[in-house]
Amino acid sequence: MVALTLPERRFGIRKSISSLHWTLVCLLALIALVGVATLYSVAEGSWTPWAGRHAIRFALALVAMTVVGITPLRVWLQLSYPAYFFALGLLFLVPFIGEVNMGARRWIDFGPITVQPSEIMKIALVMALARYYHGLEFKRVSNPIYFTIPIFMVMLPVALVFQQPDLGTALLLLATGFCIILLAGLSWKVTILGAIAGAIGAITAIQSGFLKEYQIKRLTAFMDPAADPLGSGYHLQQSKIALGSGGVVGKGYMEGTQSQLKFLPEMHTDFIFTIFGEDFGLIGAVGLLALYLMVFIVGMNIAMRARSHFGRLLTMGISMTFVMYVLINTGMVMGLAPVVGVPLPLVSNGGTVMFAVMIAFGLVQATWICRDQDTLRTTTGLN
Amino acid sequence: MRLEPFDTQRHMVFSRRATLFGGVVSLMFVGVSGRLYQLQVREYEDYRNLAEDNRFNQRVIIPLRGEIYDRFGVKLATNKQNFRVLLIPEEAESVVKSIAQVEQFIPLTEAQERRILRQAKRNSAFTPIEIAGNLPWDDFAKLNFKAPSLPGLRAEVGETRDYPFGEAAAFISGYVGAPSDRDFDQQSDEKTKLLFRQPGFRLGIQGLERTYDEKLRGQAGSKTVQVNAHGRVIEEYPNKEDEPVQGSSLGLTIDAELQVEAMRILAEPWDRIPEDEKDKPVSGAAVVMDVLTGDILIFASTPAFDPNDLNVGVSTDGWNDLKNSPYKPLLNKPINATYPPGSTFKMLTALTALEKGANAERRIRCTGKIWGGDRFYNCWKTKGHGNLDMVDSVKHSCDVYYWALAQQMEIDDLAAMARKFGLGQTYDLGLGTQQEGTIPDRAWKKRYYRSTPAQQTWFPGETLSVAIGQGSVKTTPLQLAVMTARFATGKAVMPRMVRSEGDLIQPVEAPADLGVPKEHLDIIRQGMFEVCNAPGGTATRSALPSELGTKVSGKTGTSQVTALQYDEKGKRIPNEKLPWNRRDHALFVSYAPYDNPRYACAVVVEHGSSGSRAAGPKARDIMAKVIEKNPAAMAAWSPGMGPVSQMPKSAADKTSGEG
Repeated sequence: MVALTLPERRFGIRKSISSLHWTLVCLLALIALVGVATLYSVAEGSWTPWAGRHAIRFALALVAMTVVGITPLRVWLQLSYPAYFFALGLLFLVPFIGEVNMGARRWIDFGPITVQPSEIMKIALVMALARYYHGLEFKRVSNPIYFTIPIFMVMLPVALVFQQPDLGTALLLLATGFCIILLAGLSWKVTILGAIAGAIGAITAIQSGFLKEYQIKRLTAFMDPAADPLGSGYHLQQSKIALGSGGVVGKGYMEGTQSQLKFLPEMHTDFIFTIFGEDFGLIGAVGLLALYLMVFIVGMNIAMRARSHFGRLLTMGISMTFVMYVLINTGMVMGLAPVVGVPLPLVSNGGTVMFAVMIAFGLVQATWICRDQDTLRTTTGLN
Repeated sequence: MRLEPFDTQRHMVFSRRATLFGGVVSLMFVGVSGRLYQLQVREYEDYRNLAEDNRFNQRVIIPLRGEIYDRFGVKLATNKQNFRVLLIPEEAESVVKSIAQVEQFIPLTEAQERRILRQAKRNSAFTPIEIAGNLPWDDFAKLNFKAPSLPGLRAEVGETRDYPFGEAAAFISGYVGAPSDRDFDQQSDEKTKLLFRQPGFRLGIQGLERTYDEKLRGQAGSKTVQVNAHGRVIEEYPNKEDEPVQGSSLGLTIDAELQVEAMRILAEPWDRIPEDEKDKPVSGAAVVMDVLTGDILIFASTPAFDPNDLNVGVSTDGWNDLKNSPYKPLLNKPINATYPPGSTFKMLTALTALEKGANAERRIRCTGKIWGGDRFYNCWKTKGHGNLDMVDSVKHSCDVYYWALAQQMEIDDLAAMARKFGLGQTYDLGLGTQQEGTIPDRAWKKRYYRSTPAQQTWFPGETLSVAIGQGSVKTTPLQLAVMTARFATGKAVMPRMVRSEGDLIQPVEAPADLGVPKEHLDIIRQGMFEVCNAPGGTATRSALPSELGTKVSGKTGTSQVTALQYDEKGKRIPNEKLPWNRRDHALFVSYAPYDNPRYACAVVVEHGSSGSRAAGPKARDIMAKVIEKNPAAMAAWSPGMGPVSQMPKSAADKTSGEG
């Protein structure tokens, strides 16, 4: 058996690798390259502490993506619920064994690496919802019982992440879940009613002091940052000055004065788009946005072409999550969105996000490779 | 492959909605790009300007203070490197913490800490505060090494005022200090206000430093500093068109070398001083001037303070010690202390009498006392001087002779003569406040008693007191020196201290003639010559050493501070036995050479008991030094020449050892 299957598998791996969506790989690599270059600039022309590690991380994450990608999609379908419950379990554990960092308990220390369970949950939630709707007959999607279940699947991790507290990720999870439920075909009537109920709930939450003061401040700061230049709007104001002073063509690579002068906080993480925009101007910034949009469009195409509902929802959910990161982050540094602490995927420094994004795109690759397979469809009601 | 119908249905819904999402996402990307366009293209100018503002600040550069030179280009006031530690409050975690950090390296007094905290409260958070200045190199090196790791602290080298002569020239240069809040409030110009707030900036507080402050201060420059968001300076760019301009220099008439000698001589205890008072400071003044030009060569006042200490800031205790000392080390005695001139005034009485037709040859008999109309007036020599002509009267300083003259004299004439010779007025030396002294006459008494008309009448007895330089007459040592110079020349010599301002040398105007007949003056001069050089003169011990080849003419003065003191047996208590502050002042005025006068000198030793014993010998020693060097004959410095090498080290050292 072993002797017989081994060559076939090797052939299979090689074939799978060659059948990866290489345009997507190239786009991701380009974006990561932008990340490396910008981190190099932020460190004033140094590979340490960020740029070098970023490059190495991307290489490792690329391997992870490939491994995930060449794994049959059926395997991921089967792993969806376990992954979700695993992530949920970790989220439960965070308050007890998590590391406190910047006033929030978000990390779990696994010896050599620390991970953010919320990052795992971002993928696991997409997987679980895709899995759920994969097995759900379409006519039941808007059925009160069957649409309440995914709402709980979304709200449970959202609540856990929210109380860490990590407002940004909680909102992202919420939006991701909402997108997938919509993509699965929830009727607009139910959607609108649900949205109204959700809005009422949110307003009640804010008024009852459920949000911490700094969270409200952050949410409101982007309305008029100039009014409070050294308070919560300070970072945003500095960010806008850096971006704005970059002009059309930018100040040139590593010539950005605002960033070099350390006016900007979090330059290597949440505000990295500002550095890039200052150095390369409108042309560079829009170019980077175009790369992200292309990744999304590629993802959307893969989703459209996938035969399995699981693959479709999975890929579209991941692509949506990805662009939401991008839009929230860039909107945030430009004063269009609140400063909620969302990194720019593949560009911001940070290992967990990098691996989470690349593993997610591994799932997209798996969908692409298995785009014509329908066999993973199950017809049982819930499972 | 077979598709379930519901799968087709949900695939269609999915595709529709995915396309919708794709559209929404694309629109959002367009929105974000539009925002980028708005920021980077439409509002580019605004943000570029903001970026510049963020990065660059204008800072004031303290100009180097103009230097003060003596007549030969020796620096009396200059600038030296000041190793100091600054605190920028906004960069520090807390001012208190920073103080504690500095104290690990250098001790700070409680008063210093209070000052730092006060300044931190008063100044804006970006204005540096001087934590400690004038640090020894070792302390500075330690702090300089540590400062980068201590937030807000900066060790740097600034410039501070330095007075190389310390106490010796304290009353000439005056001193500088940090501007007070009131000085600050009086400024209207923003840049000046900013300058006043700079750490290490000094304002002239007293003396020439104050009078010429604006000229010495120079013009503040500015520099552009590149700062980061924390205000930390990353780079400095001096503004080419706004560089600081050093203040103009001042060239003085003073001879620093002789000044140092005079300070030393003045401070020496004299022979009759009681043994237990040998360690006490000598409180006195000495002025030497060039009788032809009016240039003040020596302007000594003891005891003095060290202007370097006041620049740095003395402790309250130290300041109170200076302020409350009976020897008045803060008083500029040559111009701000007034003394009854005593017998040095007698020449004026003699001249007035001659002017009114008195015969200098007429002999008057001194029996030791004279009836003054109200009571007997006793000559200082109770046995009497016998028959004296005018020259003799000067030589022996006989009181009775002058009382006899005064009985025929109108006080207003005497007062006019005194004013003609420079008493009762101030001179523009640039040293700040100056006492006028008092030359009493009828008008003065009316003014003085303007609220009690009954006391305004002038009594003949008062004229007698004034005639021998007692009573209400008050003069400053400077006035006595001017008077002596005018006796020597017969000209209205005007004293001056500042020879040059910046590059401009002040011209000396030839003094006008006093209009006093030479024959009259010659009688006085003969008398003054005999005081020092004839047997029986009151100040023969003040004659110049013969090897100098010239002689001095002079006049002693011993002026009473209180009425004569008698013990219980009715015996007069010797002056030396009285408490220090009730003893007579000792005065001496002189000029030399006697036959071709060039230098006039006035010395006052407060409570020195005897003009001939305390003041005369000091005047002699000072005059000997002056004659020996003869600075008036030497080529003087001009501003273009730059500073000469410093004084011989030995001469400068002599000042530092004195208390």
